This record gives sequence, structure tokens and C-alpha cells, in this order.
Amino acid sequence: MSANTPAEAAPGPSSNEPNPRGSETRGSIPVVDGAKLVRERRLNNAKKNWALFRSDVPALIGAVVLLFFIVIAIAAPLIAPASMLDVTKQLDVPRYAPPSLDHPLGTDDLGRELWVRILWGARVSILVGVAATVMSMIIGTIMGLAAGHFTGLFGGVIMRIVDFFIVLPSLLLAIVLSSVLERGVFTIVVAIGLTSWASTARIVRSQTLSVESRLYIERARILGAGHSHILFRHLLPAVMPLVLANTTLTVGGAIIAESTLSFLGLGDTSKESWGTILKNSMDVSAATSGYWWYVLTPGVAILLVVLAFTMVGRAFEAIINPALRSR
Amino acid sequence: MSTPTHDPQSGDRPDRGPGTANPGTDPTNPSPASAKGSAATADANPADPANPADANPATVDMDEPPAGGSFTRYFLRKLGGAATSMVLVIVLGFFAFRMLPGDPVLKIAKERPMSPAQIAELRSQYGLDKPVIVQFWDYLVGIVTGDLGESYVYRKSVSSLIGEYLGPTLLLTATAAVIAIVLGLWLGQISAWRRNTLFDKLASSTSLIFWSVPTFWLGLILLMIFGGTLQWLPTGGMITPGLDPWSPAGIIDVIKHLILPVVSLVAVVYAQFLMIMRASLLEEMNEDYLTTARAKGLTEDEVRRRHAVPNALLPTVTVVFLHIGGLIAGAVTVEAVFSWPGLGKLTFEAIRGPDLPLLQGTFVVFSAIIIVMNLAADIVYRFLDPRVRRA
Amino acid sequence: MTDLQFENVSITYRSSSDRGDVVAVEDVSLDLPAGATLGIAGESGSGKSTLIMSALRLLPKSARLDGRVLLGGQDIRELSFGQIRAVRWAQASIVFQGALHSLNPVREVGQQIIEALEHHSKGTWTTPQKRRDRMFELLAEVNLEASKSSAYPHELSGGQKQRIMIAMALACEPDIIIADEPTTALDVIVQKQILSGLARLVAERGISLLMISHDLAVLSAVCAKLAIMRHGRLVEYGPSDEVCLSPQEDYTKQLAGAFPQIGDPESRLNPRTLKPAEVVRAEPFTMTDEVVLEAKDLSVSFDTRRGRERAVRGVDLQLRKAEILAVVGQSGSGKTTLARSLLGLQEVEAGSQLSFAGKALPKKAKELRAFRQKVQMILQDPAGSLNPKRSVYEAVVEGLKVQGIKDREYERVIGALEAAELTPAEDYLESIPQELSGGQRQRVVIAGALALDPQVLIADEPVASLDASVRGEILSLFLALKKNFGMSALIITHDLGLAWNIADTVAVMKRGEIVEYGEVDRVLSDPQHEYTQELLAAVPRLGSQSLVRNE
Repeated sequence: MSANTPAEAAPGPSSNEPNPRGSETRGSIPVVDGAKLVRERRLNNAKKNWALFRSDVPALIGAVVLLFFIVIAIAAPLIAPASMLDVTKQLDVPRYAPPSLDHPLGTDDLGRELWVRILWGARVSILVGVAATVMSMIIGTIMGLAAGHFTGLFGGVIMRIVDFFIVLPSLLLAIVLSSVLERGVFTIVVAIGLTSWASTARIVRSQTLSVESRLYIERARILGAGHSHILFRHLLPAVMPLVLANTTLTVGGAIIAESTLSFLGLGDTSKESWGTILKNSMDVSAATSGYWWYVLTPGVAILLVVLAFTMVGRAFEAIINPALRSR
Repeated sequence: MSTPTHDPQSGDRPDRGPGTANPGTDPTNPSPASAKGSAATADANPADPANPADANPATVDMDEPPAGGSFTRYFLRKLGGAATSMVLVIVLGFFAFRMLPGDPVLKIAKERPMSPAQIAELRSQYGLDKPVIVQFWDYLVGIVTGDLGESYVYRKSVSSLIGEYLGPTLLLTATAAVIAIVLGLWLGQISAWRRNTLFDKLASSTSLIFWSVPTFWLGLILLMIFGGTLQWLPTGGMITPGLDPWSPAGIIDVIKHLILPVVSLVAVVYAQFLMIMRASLLEEMNEDYLTTARAKGLTEDEVRRRHAVPNALLPTVTVVFLHIGGLIAGAVTVEAVFSWPGLGKLTFEAIRGPDLPLLQGTFVVFSAIIIVMNLAADIVYRFLDPRVRRA
Repeated sequence: MTDLQFENVSITYRSSSDRGDVVAVEDVSLDLPAGATLGIAGESGSGKSTLIMSALRLLPKSARLDGRVLLGGQDIRELSFGQIRAVRWAQASIVFQGALHSLNPVREVGQQIIEALEHHSKGTWTTPQKRRDRMFELLAEVNLEASKSSAYPHELSGGQKQRIMIAMALACEPDIIIADEPTTALDVIVQKQILSGLARLVAERGISLLMISHDLAVLSAVCAKLAIMRHGRLVEYGPSDEVCLSPQEDYTKQLAGAFPQIGDPESRLNPRTLKPAEVVRAEPFTMTDEVVLEAKDLSVSFDTRRGRERAVRGVDLQLRKAEILAVVGQSGSGKTTLARSLLGLQEVEAGSQLSFAGKALPKKAKELRAFRQKVQMILQDPAGSLNPKRSVYEAVVEGLKVQGIKDREYERVIGALEAAELTPAEDYLESIPQELSGGQRQRVVIAGALALDPQVLIADEPVASLDASVRGEILSLFLALKKNFGMSALIITHDLGLAWNIADTVAVMKRGEIVEYGEVDRVLSDPQHEYTQELLAAVPRLGSQSLVRNE
């Protein structure tokens, strides 16, 4: 209500304003390079944000979980050689072995160790999640900025396209796309990336509209600025933090979308992914036949990774938008 | 998250403090007084300046915002938007299935061995040998007359298949939607009002967990526990074969079959509704009119029920309706898991085929349902929010 | 009848952030006997709102209250929640700032009044019918038609919403009314109506009134006693006239001095401030006859949902070298649209003629960009005019970058900041807007315009969003720019006093038309048009409860 504002702390130009540059610049040839101060400010901000992040326990746990999965995904070939997935070499391994000391997460219908499949599946699932998100973020940011900034016919057309993609669920469109394109990891990335950008575009659009109504945009126009100056100097920097925080939150959605498409049989069956494992389990009716580990493990892996991304994303969001912090 | 997705440039967004809060500085939106053509009123001095207190109560307040626009215009605009979306769906439905790399017939041929002659015959049977523009015309005529082509797999007309499978899907998604909305909004508002209590933390973290799992996996787990291990509920289908669905026993049987798929759908979606409602209410909680209400002597409960919740519900409604689209899409996997004989199951079969005409048909119908739902949401919203009535 | 007493009240906001606790109010004692009127003046952050919210125990949970707040001799902290609820509105009610969000946006205003009656029927308004009748009675008392009861807040003007707030406050016949900035964001004429209406109702019923505002003149027009608060402390307290006309404390002098007394020769072309801008030129520029910016028969229309509407109609205007022209009008008079069209930011109707230095305004984007170098505009709110993420240097240099001016960039920036009297300029270069005060931000905005070395400055309400004590500083800067550099300025304002303080000429606008235009001294001392007279009469004057007594 009436917390002390900086405006009040320093009415009028005050002499006790910190003099960061000292007297070295005065009189002599002035050094325009304020870069050092900017760097210091950035470093300070980074420190403050890190402190905020560190105080968020769920986010820290999330970060650790993520790190774990990323490390095992990268190191998968070292931990478990690809031959462990070759069904022709698993003839002596029991099928449908429940979890035990010999088979930590159990085995599947072809005698493959589930932990090996999870390990290798992490590679595709996380890769697809991240790649599709990057694609969707880029499209979403461009479309959102354009829809928020441009008026007239062009803006109207963009707005309609965004609205169309907002209304139609991305899963439906992704099913259509991936069923007509060649099967493959790349297709899945494209199918998710091309169809899931609408929510990003929506957030970017509303942020753009709110920034667009600020006086400093009008001021830039008065100074003579054109579209490119306003778009790249004011609007893009203003929406970027939001987009980045949203990226982390969206990866989770993309991983779920990947598993869903694979589950529906639209994935690349030659590559391990958590969705593919679930599809295999469904094909052998594992759920109703008592092979609970076959169903449970890949799902828990998805849950853990998605939850971890969500926790980290929420922490980022709270850092960007202090108003959310108290929630 | 709680931002209504209404297009703010066309003025649907709840307009806070119109005109007067910001004295005449918004150039793109001339404030009402200047905008109101003052031909009739400019010379009539509204109030006797020397004696304002005694001024006639019926004086014309020049700054009074103008009366609302007509419902017809609003409706037509929304209808136009929905129609554009529908046209896009139809066009997309055609080009996605014919124009993208990969000849659909070759795709079928890859799955089943066929001779070149068979392929050519199939090609002409589905009209694929005609020029694209003719195909497109045939397709449009087909859509208008309700003919969506013939399924490769079922060897039946797509429209009759969809007609057969539509009912169960509507039953499943409508039940799930109602439960998810009621549960999500109710828990969401309690959660926001008692934020940072144990209840809030439990509700929020549960919904985060549900948010983080694929719908079909939740279905598989439920199927495993209640259908497999405990054997309390049926594992698939909509009704035990041989029962009359309209007999009392049949209805109970359908409900039994309905429970698991509905729970899987609700679990994922209610969580989103809870988070939206919670965020929306939290946003309202610092508003000044709540202080007014408290100052009037209302209890906290009355402040919440009478003032905060009705306002928080408004932006929520739009977002909730948008998520219904997601719920309908979720039906695809849930119906596949529970062999629920609906459009989702049909889509699943079409993907397996692959049965492109069927997939195209289900895509168009699913999209149409979602577009109509959103149109309905926009109309409902106008009745709920007096501010939009101005638009 | 009930007294309200604040005894050594201190209020602290507990904060979990590293800033620690924030003291909003410190050791304030004030007394409001039954039937009295008391005004509390203070700038933003002075703690005045926090103080009055404590009277009905409406502070957030994070606030801690020390000292005693006595309502009718009863310490409000000792009341149970049920008791305090009964006290609220029945004994003391609040008139919130109606123009903002103090009314529930989705409920009919009549219902919101009735809601108060339902909670405090006092044995009188016991049936729905009686409550309805009472509501209509209240609407009539504040001069609103009965039909307005079914309106939603967004369907009402700012003045009407404020009347609803007053009707609501009167509803349960309270002993005390607390008014929180009841006329902020309203035009002077509406402000006068609201204030005199409120004062009359309070006087007739013997209700005591506690009013807070940032505007000393508004308070002194209504209240018999005045208290001045700053940084949570009471600075001065006494009878209204004494505080306004012979203030003891420096801060009060500064506040009182910030209000121009139209007609007072001492403040003519001399905005009072403790920090006047320096005039360095030996022979300061004065207004010349050389016309730099001219508009002839300027009309602007907008397409709105209700068809085409004309915001500016047939305006003729001339701005000469080293002239300061004030365009005065209420909100919606079209004055901002006028300013934007002079800058080529707004499409004008055919037949309108705009010229700069004798040449018609360019139409092409490139030429328009070059033209903007010569004519610059300063927007209303300095806080909003600066990108929060960019430093002072980046803000000032922006115009140079946009205009492609590359030589002597650093010197130009420093020069502009010094001309805007933000000195020593080097110290501020890397500051970001949040680190600056409102006045400093406005100087940065002005420097950003000056960096382009313009011949004309157009300013839209340049001091409206600044605290009163900073107002004089910025106004004297405009005067200094004219005197030192011969700059011409067109200043858009709702404030006739601003014109008296710095302008050479004044144009009064009403509904898109200029109704009176001429030398400031002539127009303000001998207004010809009745609208100008009306505006002048509505300007609150310091002291003597002028609005109430003039009735």
C-alpha cells in the first residue's frame, strides 16, 4: 500500500546517489564503456536469481532429477551396450521376469531388461521433448510477436491463425501430421513442434500487447523508430524471459506428447522411447496379465522427468514474475 | 494462465476502468466524451456550475460510457471466427492427407502386398487419379452432403462409422468434462483462498503429479489395479454383450464400464482446471473491491462467495472451455486403452490401418465438435460477464 | 456520536524479504471529534492510506499496529471479529477511490449498496422492499437517476462511480465517513461537484469526515483541520487556513507553494520550487513572432463501433519560436489527439493543414523520421516512458540510434542530460529507471528528446503524475529551456495553474474545439467564454474551505 518507493527515498536529484564511475571520467576523455557496470549488474542479478532458485526446494530436487536423467541418457551406451537390446542375444534371459536382484526392473516379453530399455528410451524421449520444444518456442515467439505487434490485415490474419491453433488440440493435429509423414524421430519432433506452439504464441501475444501499450513504445515511435527497432529492441527482450521459463514447462508437455504418439503407434518402432515401451506393454496386454512392472516403470520415468521439468520451470517463472512468488 | 484468450483488439477483454482512469491519454481509443458526437449535447451545459449540488438529477453526464453493442453483432463475429476455423480444418484435412509426401495408396500398399494393377484400381476407386482441384471439389461436395468417403479397413462409409461411434464418445467426454469442471473449480477456489495451508499444498501437488503423467498411462494403471488385480470393474468395452443398454441392469453395466475411463480423463484435466481457477482467484484477491466488501462488514466467507469467486470464474470459463479440446483429444488414447467403442477408438484403428479416409473423417468431426464447443463458450461468456456485453 | 482517535499509532509491515520490516506509520496521534472535518495530506508513500485503514482494522495480516486506535472510546484491537464487523460501515464507512476498482465489476451497483444495508439493517431496513427504497433514496441524494441502480460499474463515468461510492458510504447512516482520495482522476468540474456534494451531506447530518489526499487544495477546500504526513510521520497539524496560508514546516511550505494561485502575480511565469532551473543566457530568449509550428483547420476523426467520431474539429493553432503554449482541457477534450497529429503520429482529415517552419508536414516514413528530430514529444508518465530494462544512457541515446546520428554520441548524451539538469550526468548513465525518483525519470525523458536537438517540444501532462514537490522543478526546467535555447513548447494539461506558471499563451479546448485562445494574462484574468469561466471557478484554492463556502 505505502511501502517506500525509490521515488520517495530520493526526491529530486540527490547528491548521495552512488557515484559508481568515480572521478576518473570527469574532465578527461570520457570512457563510454559502461560494459563493466552492466556486467556487474548482470552478475548481481544472476546471484540474486540463483539465491531465489536455491531456496526453492522442489525446484532443486527437480534439477537434480533432471541432471540424473540427462547423464544416464548421454552415458547409456557406456552403461549398457546396445547389444543388450538385441532380442536375438537375450535367448537365455527369462521373459516377463518380475523385478529381482538379477533383473532390477524386470524383463519384457522378449527378455530384454527394462532398465536397459528405460536407459536408452531416455535418449529419445528427452531429445524429442527438447527439440520439439525449441521448435515450438521459435514458432510461437515469432507468431505471438507478430500477432501482438502488427495491426491491420496482416495482424488480423496472423491472429486468426494463432486462434485456430489455440482452439484445436495439438495432439489431434500431431496425430494427423505424424500419420501422413514417414515414421521417424524427426517426424515426431516436427509433428509436436509444428502443432504445440499455440500456447506459447498466446502468452507471447498477451505480453506483447501489454508491452505495446506502454509509453516507452510510443516514445520510441516519437523518436522516429520503425517496426524493426521496436520489435528487436523493446518487444523481444521483454518477452524472452517469459519464453525461456515457458520452455522448461513445455518440455514436459512435449515428452508426454511423444509418449502418446509412440503409444498410438506413430513413433519410430526401431528406436527405444518410453512411449514405445508402453506401446509394447499394451500390445501384450501387460496391464491385465499381471506384468505390472512393464507398465509401471516407463510411466514412472515419464512422471519423474516431466515433474522435474515442471518444478524447475515454475521456479524460473517465479523468479521472472515476483507476483507469483507468494503463491 | 488465467488470461482469457479472447482477442483483446476487438475489445472482448474485460475493460478495467474505462476512460476516466487515464485522462484522455489513450490516443487509439478516444475516451467516450470526445468520441460521443456532441452535436446534440455540446451546447447544453450539463450542470449549472455555480450550483452543482442542486443540479437536476437527470443531467447528461458526458463521460458516461456508451450503451452496449448488440448481441447479434457479437454473435455474428464469433460465428465468423468459428466458420473460418472450420474452413481451415476442412482445407487442412484435404491437403494434409493428399499433398504431403507419401502417396496414400503406396502407404497402404506398403502394409499389404499388392500388384501394380491392384494399386491402380485402388487409386481410381478413391479418385486419386483425378487432378487435385477435381479431388478437392469432390471432397467439398462430399463434406456438404455428409459423404466422407469410404474406409479402407472397414469397407464401410466413413460417415456411417462415425455416426455409430459418436454417441459413446460424447457420453464419455461429457461425463468427464462435467466432473472435471466441478471438481477442479471447487478445489481450485478453496485452494486459492486457503493458500499455503496443508490443503492447498496437497491439492496443488496432487494436481501437479496428475499433470505430469500421460492420460493413457493413468488409464493403464487403473486398468491394472481395478480391472486386473482387484477385478472390481470391467476392463474394456461399453456394455457386457447381450445386455439391453436401456434396461436398468444395462444402465448400471454401462456406468460400471464408464468409471475407469472417466476417472483417467478427469484426473488429468481436473488438475489443470484447479490450477487455472487457483491462479485466477489469487489474481482477484488483491483487488480493491474486496476491501470495499470487507469494509462493509461482510464475513470472509461472504467476500469469497459473493465477490471474489464470481469475478475469478470469468477468465477461468474461457480457458476451461479451451481445455475441453484437450480432453476430447485425450479420449483417443483412453478409448484405445479401455476399448471404448467411440471415435477415439476409431481413430486408433484408423492409425493402425492406416486408414486415411477414416482418419481424415475423425479429424474433421473431432475438430468440428471442438469448434462448436468454443463457440458455445464465447456465447456463454457474454451472458456471464456484463463487461463483454458492451463489445 | 462517535469520536475517532489515533494515539501514538505506529504501523509496521513485516516482510520476509531481505529489506526487512517496513515502517509505514510512525507515532502518529490525531483526533477526530464528532462532527469535525479533518484532512490528511501526503505524497505517495507517506503512510496516510495505511493509517486510515487501521481505523476499521482493514490492514493486511502482515501489518503490526502499535499504539491505540479508539473508535467511540473503544480500542478497536480489543473488539472481536464479530464486533468489528458490526462497527464497519454502521459506525464508520469509507469512500474509496471509485474511479478505480473499488466496485465489484460484475455486480449491479444498486445491489452493492443494498448489500451494505443487509448487513447493517439497524432495525430500519429490515425487508428487501425497505432496502430497495433506501437505495433509491440514497441515489437521489447523490443526484443519480434511479435507473442507474441496475448499471454495472463499467457503464458509469468516473464521477458517477464516485457518487455511488458516496451513496454506499452514507447507506447505514454512519457517524464517521473516511474518504480516500475521493476525487483523484476526476476532472476539476466533476471534482467540484463531488466535493461540494460530499461536504453538504456530511454537514447536514453532522457526520465527521476524515479525508486523505495528495492534493492540499482539495483538502483545504473541505476540511476545517489539516494534518500533513511525510514518510509515515506527522509533519504539521492545525486549522486548515493556518497550515495552508502560513505553514511552519519547510515541507508544508513546499507543498503549499506547489499549488499555483491563479492571479497571484508572484507565481506568474515563476513556478515555485526550492530547486529552480538555472538560466545561463545573459539575454534570455523571449517569445518571438516567428511561427515554427502551425495547424490550420485541423480535424481528426476515429472510426469507432458507433461510427465515425470527430475528436478534433477545425482547430487553428500557431506556435512561435520561444513560445510556451498551454493547451488546457478536460479528459476527452481531444487535446492529446491534437498533440499526436501535430507530430504526424495521427492521421488527419482532408483539408487539415499542418506545417513546420512554413513547410507542410511530410507524409513519407523517411521524411517523417527526419521531421521528428525537429519536433519531439514528452509523454505523460515518466515511469512508463522508460524501458525498465535499459539504462539512462541507453534511453537517452535511443533517439540518436534511431535517427542514425553517430558522431559525438557520448557528448550529445551528456549535453542533453545536463540541459535537463540531471547532474552530474556521468553518475546517472548506468542507472536503470527503478533507481531514479519520478522527477529524475522525467528529466531522463526530457534529455532523450533534447539529445536530438529539437526546435519544438510537445509535452503531454508533463507533471500530472509527479508528486507536488517535484512539479515546480520540472516546470521551471521548461521555462529555462525556453530562455536558454529559445525552444518552443506546446504543453498539454488539465491544469490552468500550469498555464499561469509558465505559459505565454493558452488555448482552452472543449470537445475537440478551441473555445478560447490568447495571452495567458488576458485569458485567465478576464475569461470570455463561459467554459473557461467554469473551469476557473472549479479550480480549488488553498484555504478557507472555499468550495463549501462559495456555494
